[in-house]
Amino acid sequence: MIINNTIRLFVAAVLAMSVLVSCNNDDADAIDPNVKNTVTLEFDNRVGDQKLVLGTTPYKNWAGEDFTVTTFNYFVSNIKLKKDDGTVVAIPNQYFLIRQADAKSQVVQLKDVPSGNYSEVSFAVGVDSVKSLAPITERTGALDVTSYGDDGMYWSWNSGYIFMKFEGVSSVAPVRTDGRRLFQLHVGGFGGGFNGAARTANNLRTVTLPIAQKATVRGNIAPTVHVLVDVKKIFDGPTRISLATTNNVHNPSVATPIAENYKQMFAVDHVHNDNQ
Amino acid sequence: MYTTTISKRWGGVLCLLLMAGCVPKQEAEPERLFAVPANFPQPVYALDKNQITSAGVLLGRTLFNDSNLSRDGSIACSECHQQAYAFTHHQHDLSHGIDNRLGERNSLPLQNLAWSTQFFWDGGVHDLDLTPITAIENPLEMDETTTNVVQKLRNNPKYPPMFKAAFGTDEVSGTRFLQALSQFMLTLVSANSRYDKWVRKEPGGMLTPDEQAGLAVFRTKCSGCHAGELFTDNSFRNNGLYIQGSRDLGRARVTERAEDRYKFKVPSLRNVEKTLPYMHDGRFYSLSAVLDYYAGNVQNTENLDPLLKQNGRLGIALTDVEKQQIIAFLKTLTDEEFLKNPQFN
Repeated sequence: MIINNTIRLFVAAVLAMSVLVSCNNDDADAIDPNVKNTVTLEFDNRVGDQKLVLGTTPYKNWAGEDFTVTTFNYFVSNIKLKKDDGTVVAIPNQYFLIRQADAKSQVVQLKDVPSGNYSEVSFAVGVDSVKSLAPITERTGALDVTSYGDDGMYWSWNSGYIFMKFEGVSSVAPVRTDGRRLFQLHVGGFGGGFNGAARTANNLRTVTLPIAQKATVRGNIAPTVHVLVDVKKIFDGPTRISLATTNNVHNPSVATPIAENYKQMFAVDHVHNDNQ
Repeated sequence: MYTTTISKRWGGVLCLLLMAGCVPKQEAEPERLFAVPANFPQPVYALDKNQITSAGVLLGRTLFNDSNLSRDGSIACSECHQQAYAFTHHQHDLSHGIDNRLGERNSLPLQNLAWSTQFFWDGGVHDLDLTPITAIENPLEMDETTTNVVQKLRNNPKYPPMFKAAFGTDEVSGTRFLQALSQFMLTLVSANSRYDKWVRKEPGGMLTPDEQAGLAVFRTKCSGCHAGELFTDNSFRNNGLYIQGSRDLGRARVTERAEDRYKFKVPSLRNVEKTLPYMHDGRFYSLSAVLDYYAGNVQNTENLDPLLKQNGRLGIALTDVEKQQIIAFLKTLTDEEFLKNPQFN
């Protein structure tokens, strides 16, 4: 009986393999690092298990405090993809500003990634010190310090990018002169130390996420890695943050616990390894 | 007098070549837009990354005087940086901004910026190119976004041709906007005071015996901070002022380090006769008030600079005669050519 089943399983497996082989193009299926394709990272910002909608929808944090979100932006950079054989593919000099108000910005395309099975992605939330000190001519695209408009992702009085900006309204925040109860959590701080000055708070955090399903880059497969981002974790991490007490953060040192928290807000949910 | 010069771009050279046929050769000397004075050290600004051209300087100067850089078109850079007062806000302890809002600090002179390692009283900005954003985006100053300023310039028919002349194409970008402002600000070199001419042994370089005595006292008692030919060591120090008003933390606002509380940048003393009032909050209206303070009123506050706490004494020992001599010397740092140069307004 057992032997019989084993044989059946074996035959089924051989049949399945032969079907797979005959369905695939051998050349496209082979992992040839010289064959490259695009990997897309899709950042899907949520509040727990709810969609994040700017403006009107009230949410609650771990403390039961209500909040609506008006701005949620963050930089992603220094992306690295790790193959299941341990080799790492770095994506240098590419900086992305994810803005909840701009759906296009939430889709990050990494071009010319070598074929392989990728089981881990890592990235920094923020802008590294090298770029933070680079001449303005080397700061293009997402790094153009004059490009942020009302988003204001740059501290002009303390040269440096705002890595993550999370703003909104909460009934537990103190009332301002204009009558609104705003919270503003701005996290920046690349460590300073320019022109011989002492180092200051460094809130650059690297996020490393396993890709359980693996992103299989091939000549004919350009995977999309779907990353869920839970803004609730900004409040709820190693240091629990209450909007009643922490609602106005604009300096690197006080922002460090927030960076430690949001480091944990990212997770790879699934991967689309669809044939092109 | 000058050790290096940076001439106009190729366009300028081409014009000169074309003109060379019909004008005497000696008139074809390239225009000096920026030069390192013989008694100055080498600049720290990366001049190779932003080549100074006459068209770039003209654009920067136009922008510097354009009130459209502010939200409601009311305030230009030149509002708080007036040439006759070494580009400070004359007689204002704190600078006034948009809607008559009051700034938090006394505006610093704009001069010899190519030698500055850090900007503003707290050194929060490390690159001259990034300094305009601070004033533009400060709600108490120009209260505008730099993005919107660039958009306004794009829509102003005057500017695209000026950007083309300065940078080769008529693209109006934030980077070019900031570079042009830097080019103009870099030309604001003050190095032709009577003191400079005396140091360089040039005609007009006379110092009276009183002024020379003042220089001698200054070198003994003041140059520990106001060092070298720029009259600053570019450091941040607590000079023992009464902590009053907004209780401004100074350098610590940027570094968030307790050991930087109440430290402010050591300002240059060039044109100091014209840059009153003095200190980060403009609390002293005359040089004699400043010297009286250093001689007799320095407070032993947190992080007081060790140079002001020597031999069990606070401040600097100065007789009345020495104070007068120092003031006489400081006035030799006034550079009339700089304050009146028609290229700067």
